[in-house]
Amino acid sequence: MARSRRVNTMSMAAFHKCLLIAAFAAFLALFPARFMAANAAPADSLSDGDKQCLGCHGFDGLKKELAGGKLLSLHVPADGFAKSVHGIIGCASCHADVDLKTHSQKPKTIASSREYSIAMAKICGGCHAEALKQNETSVHATLLASGNPSAPVCTDCHGSHAVSPKTAYDTCVGCHLAAMEAHQKWLPNAGLHLEVVSCAACHAPSAQRMVDLRLYDGVGKKWVAEKQGRPEFENMARAADTDGNGLDAMELRKLMGQINHDEAVQPKNLRGRIELRTGVEAHQLSGKSKAIKDCTSCHQQGAEPFQSVMVSVVSADGKPVRYRAQKEVLGSVLSVDSLREFYAVGGTRNVLLDGLLILAVLAGLAVPIGHQILKRIVKRQLEREAQQSAAAKPKDRDHA
Amino acid sequence: MQRIYVHPLPVRIWHLINAIGFIAMLLTGAQIRYIGLIDLMSFRSAVSVHNWIGFVLIGNYFIWLLFYLFTDKIRVYHPELSPTKHFKASFRQLQYYGYGIFKGSPNPHQVSAYDKFNPMQSMMYQVVMFLLVPLLAVTGILLWDVQGFYGAVDFFGGVRVVDTVHVLLFIFFAFFIFFHVYMGSLGHPPTAHYKAMFVTGYEEVEEQPGHGKAANT
Repeated sequence: MARSRRVNTMSMAAFHKCLLIAAFAAFLALFPARFMAANAAPADSLSDGDKQCLGCHGFDGLKKELAGGKLLSLHVPADGFAKSVHGIIGCASCHADVDLKTHSQKPKTIASSREYSIAMAKICGGCHAEALKQNETSVHATLLASGNPSAPVCTDCHGSHAVSPKTAYDTCVGCHLAAMEAHQKWLPNAGLHLEVVSCAACHAPSAQRMVDLRLYDGVGKKWVAEKQGRPEFENMARAADTDGNGLDAMELRKLMGQINHDEAVQPKNLRGRIELRTGVEAHQLSGKSKAIKDCTSCHQQGAEPFQSVMVSVVSADGKPVRYRAQKEVLGSVLSVDSLREFYAVGGTRNVLLDGLLILAVLAGLAVPIGHQILKRIVKRQLEREAQQSAAAKPKDRDHA
Repeated sequence: MQRIYVHPLPVRIWHLINAIGFIAMLLTGAQIRYIGLIDLMSFRSAVSVHNWIGFVLIGNYFIWLLFYLFTDKIRVYHPELSPTKHFKASFRQLQYYGYGIFKGSPNPHQVSAYDKFNPMQSMMYQVVMFLLVPLLAVTGILLWDVQGFYGAVDFFGGVRVVDTVHVLLFIFFAFFIFFHVYMGSLGHPPTAHYKAMFVTGYEEVEEQPGHGKAANT
């Protein structure tokens, strides 16, 4: 029985640290509200109940000893949680089983970190029912059902407290370390593909894709993020979209001109990525045998990913803010500059160049045809002149 | 008739590889760009063939370049420095192709080993060989590895600009290949220039009164 004994441990050092920080927090509370606003930490936006939880769980040293002597960290990074998409719903939304009156005396029974994460996936499904449903047929769920100890559950990809939507390549390669090498074996320009195509765009083959044209700072070498409290991008896009039917190529040019107007030394560009239209569908991830390998899924005029185009920027809290653009912007001659960093060979053809090619081929055919016609006309003319000349000569002789 | 050796072996080898390569590049380029409308091969195969032949043609360009840089035959590419003289000669050449050739007039340009291009050919081939082909090669290399050459791609205005330039050149050469092949057929007999350029290197020219040499295209 001793093996199954569970003990909450907090070192004295951690306890002192806890007291010190609590004292410091109380000191800060005495400052005027204006000063606080200027220095507000994300965790300050949390509810009083959440702050109460973080009173203990906000300390790095808080650990729980599990069966077999393994230690489970019970630390919740306060700022990470506050900034996450779950910061607004609070601790109790997922941990409703915790009774604050008895929590410190009767801590939760946790067999292992892994089992706890698997059990918590059901809690995720309480709100994210569709995502969990999509996940049921995924390669991850199949591996989990087969007992694979490495099969990921919700928290392995999304994090347990600093929860965020995930589309980044970095998330997948956290486990799939050899992804790049595996793709390089068969995929031309593998590095570029993995940079501009989200993993799920090919590995969730039945999902619907789109082009996400995201604002990138070419000088700072980073995605442009909106400043806290100044969400301007959507308003600018809405103002540029004068007819309200999505940005056309001219309106997109106008928008890019406005975005770069104040910061001429920092030209910002739109970088295109192939993403899924809804993040929910990304949960139906399939194994490599079912993943899209057909180049024409994108590299063909009218391909499905190019039927939906969004212009976006990263908001202050890390989430994308999107505004619809018309799909024609991808092939417009006006987009040569405004979409300078996105072009998919075969898929986003410039329609004007298609017309020029037809003209060039027609002109190429017209040269021999036209020259031969000219030859016949000239020869006929010469023959006529020769006949007239021949006819004139006997008359001359007669006159002579 | 007089036989003049105007196409040395390195030039004939370069031209043969170039001819086959350009046709293959145009076809695979069209396949890459118009997959679905043209189905000669898969997109992946077209990209692979296009890349390989592209590098062969870049290497082949240097056969041409080194031959002319290290021989006195470079004189065939010397520009005409008098614009008046050049445009008058070009006009005479145009008159020949538009009228004189049909009534058997002599070609105003007299071919020799060091002066094988008529004024219009001379200007066109200088633009093609010193500007358009290098530009086609550079934009092709950048598109071959956009990520690796990101700095250069960005310098030229982004991948869309580089691709547009590459496609514009593709469009030009799609026209040029028809034009070039047809103009080559204007010898006497029609296969004469093809035979000289691909096989013998010799052009047969008629001796003309006062010139000692005869017409050629």
